[in-house]
Amino acid sequence: MSFPVFLIDDDASVLKALSRLLRISGYDPHPYPSPRQFLADFDPSAPGCIILDLTMPELDGLELQKALLAQHQKGLEHQIIFVTGTGSISAGVQAMKAGAVDFLTKPVDPIQLLAAVELARAQDEEARSQSRERLSVQEQIARLTPREREVLSHVITGRLNKQIAAALGTTEKTIKVHRGRVKAKLGAHSVAELVRITDKAGMLPAV
Amino acid sequence: MNWDVAIRSGDSQILHLKNAVGMPIVVAVAYYLAAEVAFLVGTFSDKIFAPFWPPNTVLFCALMLVPRHRWWLCILAAFPAHLISELGIGMSAPQLLVAFVTNCLVAIMSALSLQYLLGAPPWLTTLRRMLQYILAAVILSPALVAFGGAFVPAMAVGAPAEYWTFWTQWYMANALAGVALGPLALAYFDTRASRRAQPLSTIDLVEAAVVAIALIFVCVVVFKGKTDNVPAGLLPALLYLPLPLILWITVRFGVKGASFSVFVVTILLVAMTLNGPSLFIIADPERNVFAIQVFLIGLAVPVLLLGAAIDETRHAERTTRESEERMALAAVAADLCLWHFNYDDNRFWITDHGRRMFGFSPDQVITRDVIIDTAYPDDHDIAYQVMDLAATPEGTADTEFRITRRNDGQTRWLRARVSTVRDDQGSVVQISGTFADVTARKAMEDELAQQHRDVVHLMRVSMLSELSGGIAHELTQPLTAILSNAQAARLLLEDKSPDLVEISAALDDIIGEDHRAGEVIHRMRSLLKKGAASLERIDVNELIASTLSLLKGELISRRIQASCEYADHLPLIFADLVQLQQVFINILMNSFEAMNDVLPSQRLVSIQTRPISTGGVQILIADRGHGLAPLHQHQVFEPYFSTKERGLGLGLSICSSIIRAHGGCLMLENRDEGGAVATITLTERALSAA
Repeated sequence: MSFPVFLIDDDASVLKALSRLLRISGYDPHPYPSPRQFLADFDPSAPGCIILDLTMPELDGLELQKALLAQHQKGLEHQIIFVTGTGSISAGVQAMKAGAVDFLTKPVDPIQLLAAVELARAQDEEARSQSRERLSVQEQIARLTPREREVLSHVITGRLNKQIAAALGTTEKTIKVHRGRVKAKLGAHSVAELVRITDKAGMLPAV
Repeated sequence: MNWDVAIRSGDSQILHLKNAVGMPIVVAVAYYLAAEVAFLVGTFSDKIFAPFWPPNTVLFCALMLVPRHRWWLCILAAFPAHLISELGIGMSAPQLLVAFVTNCLVAIMSALSLQYLLGAPPWLTTLRRMLQYILAAVILSPALVAFGGAFVPAMAVGAPAEYWTFWTQWYMANALAGVALGPLALAYFDTRASRRAQPLSTIDLVEAAVVAIALIFVCVVVFKGKTDNVPAGLLPALLYLPLPLILWITVRFGVKGASFSVFVVTILLVAMTLNGPSLFIIADPERNVFAIQVFLIGLAVPVLLLGAAIDETRHAERTTRESEERMALAAVAADLCLWHFNYDDNRFWITDHGRRMFGFSPDQVITRDVIIDTAYPDDHDIAYQVMDLAATPEGTADTEFRITRRNDGQTRWLRARVSTVRDDQGSVVQISGTFADVTARKAMEDELAQQHRDVVHLMRVSMLSELSGGIAHELTQPLTAILSNAQAARLLLEDKSPDLVEISAALDDIIGEDHRAGEVIHRMRSLLKKGAASLERIDVNELIASTLSLLKGELISRRIQASCEYADHLPLIFADLVQLQQVFINILMNSFEAMNDVLPSQRLVSIQTRPISTGGVQILIADRGHGLAPLHQHQVFEPYFSTKERGLGLGLSICSSIIRAHGGCLMLENRDEGGAVATITLTERALSAA
């Protein structure tokens, strides 16, 4: 299945020409003449990237970007490539700060545009695979008991069992049992592996 | 005489005496002398009645010359003179009194009626005035007063039956004095009339003296009559001998000459007839005198009228000549060429200044064709129309054309004003007109128009530079599409079996987009174009639509909505497209800027077109901006007035001048619902364009 590209531009001929180029280059273009129409159809969870004209009546590109960010699941934002006819630097900086892949000025060089789309596709896939991995790790961590998670948070700081026992007010032996169960449940063989897993899941070490 | 000439303020100028004491003495002396002269000249057999009685005329002249409130002094002064002279001839007291009263009456009546008829001096300067004088002072007042005067001799003789004889005698004596002395006195004392006349040269004076002496001589010789060597049958013919001299003096010296000769002939003829043999010795002295009186009055009246007519003609001639001279002087000072053309004799007249204006040599014969030939080839028709106005019904023209000056080949602009003179039948008999060299003014006008065009163009350029962002946006769209389509086509060609249909579609789109880009450039270039206005028929709706597409980028980046309400079947407007578009852009840009501080959702420009009843189009451009500050409402069209920080203040003043040059008007006012509205009214046919 080809990668969907959402095109939003108020100029019909630009929309048509870019759609043609993207289709021939193996993407799946979805042209929208107005931002509102796009927002109405938009599915934040579906893959794809967005090519957005910065200056449009009704709603301009930066505002649309803000609206999309609000809808998106963290880490699964659609990649946005801005194109602009006026090319103001401040708008470009703002767009890039908000996470745009690229900021191209019209007349857009098709090679550059295709490269940006390709980059967006790669980033999107990357983000999605990362997101999938994180989900599985988070599921594993979720299977731990609260006490085990507490112990884990201490383990990944590199503390010894004795230190953890002192911190949690229990015996060294108990901690050793918990550590062994956590390792088994998460399929890890070393502390280093545990650190990598918790990091992927976004879990913070104990203070 | 110690007359003092003074100009009294206001209505009249009257001779009056240096003081109230001198005047009565002069009047008394003159009256007495006149009476003595009358007696000297001769009286009838009763030794009382003089056939030529000048004292009344002396009194009348005095009354004419002094202000009315001093008349009583004149009359009072005349009384002792009357007393002395009449007593000298032994007149009885009642006779004397009646005679004096009648004398005064005739003088007062004549003076009153003449002052009424003639008003202030000059008195006897025209034929009409002379006729009035004769009617009043020679015919009417002596005739009326003679009814009283006839009593004087009747009282002496005691024969009422002879009353009518006395009436006739009295009347004739006064009438004769009226023609012989009155005009002389009035003509010589009337300084206003003297000033109107041409001053006499020494030669004139010598001529006058010679002719006067000749007249006296001829009269003396001829009126002696009865000489042995003159045949009796020739005697009446002798009467006409003085006539050539009388006419000579009259023709040469007008009223003064006429009155002088009449006076001389009267005195001499009466004196010679009463005191010895003369031409008029036919019967008794009374009859003789009556014949002389009839003869003299008959001679005097036409001679005096002729003199007055001559004075009047001379004065008119002089006035005409002076006004012509003044006109010629003014024409030269105003750099005007005067000319006229007579149809009946094909005569063309032009001032010397006019010759110089055309560069003609002084001896060149000038006709209408010569003038028309000088016209610039392009302006030949105009020149022809100017010079042959008979062909047109209006009969006047005011136009301008170019000529090639004959002597140096320079091109000059002339302004021609022409009018025709028609006869009673309405056919043109004369054309006259003026030419003025307006080359300098034309050059200035051209320069001004050029400067105005430059400013208008500069404003357009500066406006375009403001718009350049938006216009660039308009260009990048088709360019983006073109690039994408081209790249797509290239990618398609890389396939083993290229999709030719798709490639052809991409190429078609490229062509379409290229045209679109070309149009944007064309619109921009026409706005940048510099040059004279070119008028064409314009569909206002179309022009507004194309203007809005030029401003599309501006509308988008300013987040402004534009709503248009175009009227169907608008009349086409004859106007300069570029200038009109400049006005639209300028006003729209003002509207856009007025809405900078308004919420984006409220930014709306509404444009409406509608036909107007007088045959034209009205365009309303309304915004929802801050409107006009009340203080600025009257200033917005003034040059260099601006509320913008970086504004030149020329935009609206130029817009207004463009619309006015198109015969329309531009109004700017606040809307009740907020914002401002600009109303552009254009007539169907523009009068001119800047």
